[in-house]
Amino acid sequence: MTSLVARRISLGGITGNPIAFLCVLVVMAVLLAVPALHSDYLQVVFRNILMYAAMAYGWNLIGGYTGYVSFGNVAFFGIGAYCSAVLSSHGVQNLFAYVAVAMVVNALFAIVVGLPVLRLRGHYFGIATLGIALAIGDIVENLDVLGASSGIRLPQVDEAHFSVYYYAMWLVALGSMLATYAIARSKLGYAFVAIRENEDAAAVLGISATRYKITAWAIGGMMAGAAGAVFAPANGFIDPSITFALDSNVFPIAMTILGGIGTVAGPFIGALLLAGANELLQRFFVSGHTLFFGAMIVLIVLLLPRGLVWLFGLRGGVRAWLRSLQTYKA
Amino acid sequence: MSAAVDAPGSVALRVQGVGMRFGGLWALSDVSFEVERGSVVGLIGPNGSGKTTLMNIVSGVYKPTTGEVLYGGKRIADVPTHEVCHLGIARTFQVVKPFANLTVRENVAVGAMYGRNGAKRSTRASFERADALVEMVGLARVARHAASDLTIPDRKRLEVAKALALDPDVLLLDEVMAGLNATEVEEALQLLRDVNARGVTLIVVEHLMKAIVSISTTVVVLAEGKKIAQGAPSDVLASPQVIEAYLGSRWAKRQEQLKIVEAERRQAAEAQRREPGA
Repeated sequence: MTSLVARRISLGGITGNPIAFLCVLVVMAVLLAVPALHSDYLQVVFRNILMYAAMAYGWNLIGGYTGYVSFGNVAFFGIGAYCSAVLSSHGVQNLFAYVAVAMVVNALFAIVVGLPVLRLRGHYFGIATLGIALAIGDIVENLDVLGASSGIRLPQVDEAHFSVYYYAMWLVALGSMLATYAIARSKLGYAFVAIRENEDAAAVLGISATRYKITAWAIGGMMAGAAGAVFAPANGFIDPSITFALDSNVFPIAMTILGGIGTVAGPFIGALLLAGANELLQRFFVSGHTLFFGAMIVLIVLLLPRGLVWLFGLRGGVRAWLRSLQTYKA
Repeated sequence: MSAAVDAPGSVALRVQGVGMRFGGLWALSDVSFEVERGSVVGLIGPNGSGKTTLMNIVSGVYKPTTGEVLYGGKRIADVPTHEVCHLGIARTFQVVKPFANLTVRENVAVGAMYGRNGAKRSTRASFERADALVEMVGLARVARHAASDLTIPDRKRLEVAKALALDPDVLLLDEVMAGLNATEVEEALQLLRDVNARGVTLIVVEHLMKAIVSISTTVVVLAEGKKIAQGAPSDVLASPQVIEAYLGSRWAKRQEQLKIVEAERRQAAEAQRREPGA
């Protein structure tokens, strides 16, 4: 029983460990300095980390806080990217407009699709969302207006300053993080968690499960959509295989789990480490990096089943950690 | 508050010809009774008599196959489950359903946030209300523990606190005293009396006959899905029909066993008496 109490304390409440959150804010502030290094390579690497972080925050709301494991969040990212592409091809050259439109379109998409899909529970919901992501990718691939499989080229919104995309992505990631923090501490956050913990009990306490599940999905979709909207012009070119990639679907989930599911710091920590490690492995092991990458994920899940954020609240060193592993074996 | 509706003694809840079929089995058939505002109705009956099914229908979790439950002129079946508590009906679950990874006070606060007066409460006000209720049900010592750490009796207390956080007019309690020891039952009864004294109507499902008799103003007896008796506790428990249906099987078996034991003893005594002579 005492170990269970310790577990609760280490989770640090509904937002996760506050020290972990502070550390993440500090790292975010440091990341503002990346463009000053004058390396386009590093800028792209860290921009991708921030992009994955925003997507992970989006997934964390529905998968982590509300407990509905979605395999379709890449659809939001792709839709966001295509919003930018369509606006760009109509002569709009404004990042704020891209992001705003992407967020609105994604919120509407989440509501329309969520109404039927979020009535499903557990595995059925997961499979349905995977189906949606695949279907959207296929639809785009066959729409000539959207460039079909050959994709769309986007001109630079600001020829002189490549770093504008970096700062935009930084803002998207920060916005997603702070929004998650604010939501987790509000009544909304408790509705999400109550649904995750027990949907029937939540209903009896006056929580309309459908309404709050759709809210979680829509807000998460807006985060991923905003990331997609910045990614498209930054990348200069999008096609269905880039925007609806399997990686973009699975990475945010793995990152959230690695960092700490249902916490505010977790998705960012996971994105930083996983995307960073992926980049390093690709540089040093050109052919076999996916093997190392996969092994790393397996080890982390085995050794840190609650994610890295949990380590921040761990008291009692290695011994406490080993003991916690035993309580985790079901 | 309009006196006509809220006066003690007026009908708060009307159960009319309620029947519930699961597949080929009628778990309940044609059950009717009225619950007066401010009263304590004990709902008793042997295992499988349909008590929990009836609770699920009154709280809007199940829609009855026949009949209806009326509350304040509304059919409960027409109201979505998550709206029932906004009408003023709250319940506890026999199989407790705590939010395991939330603390005790967070569990209760969720009720305060989304229950009847939830829309008017801020997060902070909800936690203040939760703390008061946690104290009231005697869980203050574990307020900041995860609900998954609680013992079964404490989980039952948590269920009651969560239901009270909804600010109900009618509270349905499904076996909240099961598994409590004598002292704890006494505490629980005192808590329910306090709640009732504040004007909350109670419908209590309980196996503990002593508890039911001591708290109820009216007792409704179910057996095999039918209502077999209703009235003041002492009258109902004295009725032969109830003894047969409710206490019958065990009591009868006991009598049977006593007879056998008695017969054996008599035989043994008889044999011993003959022994010296043989």
